[in-house]
Amino acid sequence: MVYTKKSPALFIIGLVMLLWGWLNASGNIDGVQQYFQKSAYSDHMKVKEKFDAEFRVASEMAAAESKPAPDMKMPHSAFDKAKAFQAKMCYIFGGVATLLGLLIMVWTPKEGNLDYYLSIFPGMAYILLIAFLVRWGLDPMFGNWGKAAQPTLGWNFASIFNLNYVVLGIVIGIVIVNVFKIPDWAANGVRTARFFLKTGVILLGALYSATELAQLGAISVLLIGFFVLGSIGIVLYMGRRMNTGNSMTAVLASGVGVCGVSAAVAASPVVNAKAGEIAYTIGTILVWGVGCMFLFPTIGHMLNMGPVQFGAWAGTGILNSAQVAGAALAFDPHGIETLKVAEIFNITRVLFLPIVVLWLAAWYVKHEVGAEKVDLGKVLFAKFPVFVLGFILMFALSTMGAFTPSGHYQGKYFSGEQIKEDKLLKGKETKAIEAELARLKEPAGAKALQDHFTDKAIVIGQRKATPDDAYKDLADLIANKRMNTREQDKLLQAVAKMKGLDVLAQSAIEKADKAAWHSSKTIGAFRDWLAWLFSFGLIGLGMQITMAALKQAGGTPLIIGGVVGTAKAVGSLIVVLLFVKEFI
Amino acid sequence: MSEQKFERGTSLSIFVSDRREDLGSLVFALLIALGIVLVVGK
Repeated sequence: MVYTKKSPALFIIGLVMLLWGWLNASGNIDGVQQYFQKSAYSDHMKVKEKFDAEFRVASEMAAAESKPAPDMKMPHSAFDKAKAFQAKMCYIFGGVATLLGLLIMVWTPKEGNLDYYLSIFPGMAYILLIAFLVRWGLDPMFGNWGKAAQPTLGWNFASIFNLNYVVLGIVIGIVIVNVFKIPDWAANGVRTARFFLKTGVILLGALYSATELAQLGAISVLLIGFFVLGSIGIVLYMGRRMNTGNSMTAVLASGVGVCGVSAAVAASPVVNAKAGEIAYTIGTILVWGVGCMFLFPTIGHMLNMGPVQFGAWAGTGILNSAQVAGAALAFDPHGIETLKVAEIFNITRVLFLPIVVLWLAAWYVKHEVGAEKVDLGKVLFAKFPVFVLGFILMFALSTMGAFTPSGHYQGKYFSGEQIKEDKLLKGKETKAIEAELARLKEPAGAKALQDHFTDKAIVIGQRKATPDDAYKDLADLIANKRMNTREQDKLLQAVAKMKGLDVLAQSAIEKADKAAWHSSKTIGAFRDWLAWLFSFGLIGLGMQITMAALKQAGGTPLIIGGVVGTAKAVGSLIVVLLFVKEFI
Repeated sequence: MSEQKFERGTSLSIFVSDRREDLGSLVFALLIALGIVLVVGK
C-alpha cells in the first residue's frame, strides 16, 4: 500500500509558515501582534519609554560635550522576544515543510518505509499550522475578549469556560473533522497525535516533586487525598455497575477526582480512551464546574464561611483549576486569602496525579483483559503502558532534583540572595517605610494593623500574626533593602494591602516582593514543551471526534459525574465546616 | 478513519503496537528533558 498522496498541500503549508515568519521578523504585522500580544506589547512600551529617556539624556550630555550622538540599542522586550520566537518556529518548520513538500510533488512514491514515514509529514504540518493559529491567535484573542467583557459580566468568561489552547485545540479539531473532513493527504499525520500526547504526559512528570508534597500540611494532604482517591473509587465502581466502558470510566474518574481537564487528558492514553470519551469527560467537567462556580460562593455566604474555610472547600470540591479561582474570587473579590488557600488545596490535588495515573493504568489493564482469571503480574507486565513508567521515572528524577532544585516547581521561586543590586530598595523608598513604621508603632497605627491582620486572618506558622511581627520584618526590610525570607515576604505583603498605608511605602514593599521572586527557566522550558505537545496532540485528537462518536458516549457519564461531583462537594463541605478552622 | 484503512499501525497510531509507541514517546521525552537540562541548565 502506498501512503503518500501526491498533493501540493505540504509545500503550501510550508510557504504560509515562512510568510508568517517573515512578516514577524520584518515587523510588517506589528499592528496585528499588538492586539494578540497585549501584555507583551505594554511591556514593550515601558522598555521603549525607558530607553527613549535614557537616550535623550545621553544625547544631551554628548551634545553638551560636543561629542557625536551615542550608539545605543534598545534592549529586547517581551514583545520582541515573542515575535522573534514566532519567526524562528515558522522558519524552522516552514523550511522543512517546503522542502519535503517539494519532494512529495516531484517524487513518485513507492511502497516502503520512505513512503510510509514521508506520508506522515503533511498531516503533522497541517496540525502544527492549526496549533500556531490556536496558540498565537485564538488563545490570546479569547483572553483579550474575556478581559474586555469582565467589567460588564463581572467574570472572565474565557477563563471560566477554559477557552485556552487546550479546549480551543480540541474544539477546532472537532469542527474540522465534522465540517470539512480530514483531507486524504493529512490522514496519516493525524495518527501521530497520540504519540505526542504520550510524550507530553511523560514530561508532565518532571513538573511534580514528592518534596513539594511533603512540605504541605499533613492534614490538608489527607483531606484532599481522601476526596481525590474516594471520588475516583466511586466513579470506577459506578462506571462498572452502569456499563459505561472501561476507558470512559477511567478518564471520567481522573477528571472528576483530580483536577478536571488536564487530568482527563493525562489519563486518556493510559487507558486507551477514544477521542470522543475525552471530549465527553471534558464537557461534563466544564458544565459541572460552571454550575459549582456560581453555587459555591452563594452557599459559602449563606453558611457564613470564613475565607480559609471557603478556600479549602472550593479547592477540594470544584473540579477545574480555573473555576476554583473563579469561585474563590467570586466569594471574596477584594481579598487574596480565599484565593491563596483555594490554590494551595488545588495544587495539592494536582500532586496526586502520579498516584492516580498508576492506579488507573493497573485498574484498566485488570478489567480490560479480565485479569481476575489470569496471573495479574504477567498481564501487567505484558499490557502495562510503558509511558506511565516514563511519567513515574520523570517524577522520581524531579524529586531527586535532577531538573531543578525543589521549591522551583511552581515555576517561580523565592530567593533573597539572588536579588540583583539594581533591584534593592532605594533611599527614598526605605525612608517611606521608616516613616510608616513609626506611624504604625503609635497606638492608633498599631490598632489599625492588628484589626487588619484579624480581618484578613493573617497567620505565621500556626499562630496569628501580631503588629510586633510586622515591626520586626519592616525594620529588617529597611536594614537589608530586600526581603530575606518567604515568611517576611508573606507578612509584609499583607501589610502592604492595609488601607491608609502611604502609597510610596506600599509600592516599595511590592517592589521588594517582586524582586525576591524569580522565574525558573527550566520549569518554563518544560511548560513550553508541554504546551506545544498537548496543543498538537489535542488538535489531532479533536480531529478524531465525530458527532457519531459523541453520541455513542451517551448520558450515563454525565449522571456519574454529577452524582460523584455532588457527593464530593457535600462531603468536603461537611469536613471543612467540622475541621478546617482547627488546623489551618 | 477505519482501522482496515491502514496496514501499518491503527487508526489512532502510526506505530505497529502500543508498546512501541510508548517506548518511542519515552525516548523522545527523555531527549527533550536532556536537551532542556543541557541547554537551559539547572
